Amino acid sequence: MAAAAGGGAVRALSQKEQDIQMMLAADVHLGTKNCDFQMERYVFKRRTDGIYIINLGKTWEKLQLAARVIVAIENPQDIIVQSARPYGQRAVLKFAQYTGAHAIAGRHTPGTFTNQLQTSFSEPRLLILTDPRTDHQPIKESALGNIPTIAFCDTDSPMRYVDIGIPANNKGRNSIGCLFWLLARMVLQMRGTILPGHKWEVMVDLFFYRDPEEAKEQEGEAAVAPEFAAITDYQGADQWGGDQWTSDVPVPPVAPIGADWGAAPAPVPTGDGWDQAGAPVPVDGTVPPVIAPTGWDQAPQPTAQGWE
Amino acid sequence: MAERGGERGGERGGFGRGFGRGGRGDRGGRRGGRRGPRQEEEKWVPVTKLGRLVKEGRINKIEEIYLHSLPVKEHQIVETIVPGLKDEVMKITPVQKQTRAGQRTRFKAFVVVGDGDGHVGLGVKCAKEVATAIRGAIILAKLSVVPVRRGYWGNKIGPPHTVPCKVTGKCGSVTVRMVPAPRGSGIVAARVPKKVLQFAGIEDVFTSSRGSTKTLGNFVKATFDCLMKTYGFLTPEFWTQTNFSMTPFQQFTDLLGKPTKGLVLEAPTETVEA
Repeated sequence: MAAAAGGGAVRALSQKEQDIQMMLAADVHLGTKNCDFQMERYVFKRRTDGIYIINLGKTWEKLQLAARVIVAIENPQDIIVQSARPYGQRAVLKFAQYTGAHAIAGRHTPGTFTNQLQTSFSEPRLLILTDPRTDHQPIKESALGNIPTIAFCDTDSPMRYVDIGIPANNKGRNSIGCLFWLLARMVLQMRGTILPGHKWEVMVDLFFYRDPEEAKEQEGEAAVAPEFAAITDYQGADQWGGDQWTSDVPVPPVAPIGADWGAAPAPVPTGDGWDQAGAPVPVDGTVPPVIAPTGWDQAPQPTAQGWE
Repeated sequence: MAERGGERGGERGGFGRGFGRGGRGDRGGRRGGRRGPRQEEEKWVPVTKLGRLVKEGRINKIEEIYLHSLPVKEHQIVETIVPGLKDEVMKITPVQKQTRAGQRTRFKAFVVVGDGDGHVGLGVKCAKEVATAIRGAIILAKLSVVPVRRGYWGNKIGPPHTVPCKVTGKCGSVTVRMVPAPRGSGIVAARVPKKVLQFAGIEDVFTSSRGSTKTLGNFVKATFDCLMKTYGFLTPEFWTQTNFSMTPFQQFTDLLGKPTKGLVLEAPTETVEA
């Protein structure tokens, strides 16, 4: 169905078809080289190199079913979304943020659902997991506590005690992010928070896992942009500008810049080796505090040059 | 080795003297809370959702808990809902573990709990002191309370008085078989299962047992297992379709959603930091 739509589409794609295209791009349809017998019904075919291909139409249906179950829980705080794996942790946190659920990222302390004397004891009404194999401990505990479980299952995932298994690739970072994004959007649509057919303004990329270095780079780029926008403010507020630059973390974007660019304080004040347009203002500021007041005197001039 | 044997014999003799009486004829021994201060028992702060619902009085019958297979983690739940629970210590055996500094003796207590009207519980606890073991066993017994199904031998006149059908339970090598008996037969059983059946509220039954019934632990567990099976037996009354109802957690989700106050007062219970 996705192939037909992509090939001869003169008409616009329905939302379901768009979703499936996105899932294809995120490699959600790629399984593993082994297939659990209970997952056979969701498999489309086995590729020549041994990888099982998951039928995305069925994935979409199961996502809808899962979303209906999630919406049926009156109090969203009673839902726990979990991921032990790093690739799923960010997705899980964002999902919880947008649907009102409770997220557990990282290690699941055994006894969280069964030991009533533990401080982290909780009795959820529903459990959502990224992988039945790595998250096997919460599955075992939920079985003891009458907690229904939804999980993203790969072709080789054990389905024991999983009540709703969504066939999908739970190994790739984009795949997990895409799936949680879709599930969150479906839940919000069913609740009526988003109108169906409209684009959700939250981007899929927000749910993707970022390596720590990647995260820093991105924040570095992102922070330079707001710096430019806020320059007018700084020029007007020179008096307290000095204070701001001496303290280490006044404005969030500043901190990572300080970390990244602290490596090159020496050539900075003179502006050598740096483009006039990009560098001067934030770099001057992060130079050791002693230079800060003088840096500020210089600051308005280079920006004037750079921006005109 | 001979010395140790002698020691053990001596110890057993001592314990036999001390607790044989308590184990067998102790009827009026331990009821409810008698030694501890009264305030402790009334200050129950529920930790589980079910506990909260029971304390607020939203759940009145234990059958609602059985219907949804909800695990009972706090014994006060059972105490609140089934008020007529009586307990009895069946036996206290000393068990020993060998260490290089001698034997390490602990006491194992078997306690049966019941209201005489269809609910029994069995608790086994081992502890270094007798009193601790008994207390612990009573708590475990209350946590394990199960419903017992009673039926008729023949004419359905009056309340049910016997087992609904022939049932058998097994634990270890001991098998206990219960057979429906006509009214007025009484409980035809050995001393140990007779006690359990009296607590269950069964008036007439024929029993037959096999295996090493000397091991009281297994004997009592076998009768308990047998009683559990009375409700596991599918008879034509259960052929009708079940009407599924909402679990109490869903029914009272608004009430449970409210944050609990004063959970910091946890003097009686020990909290385990995760």
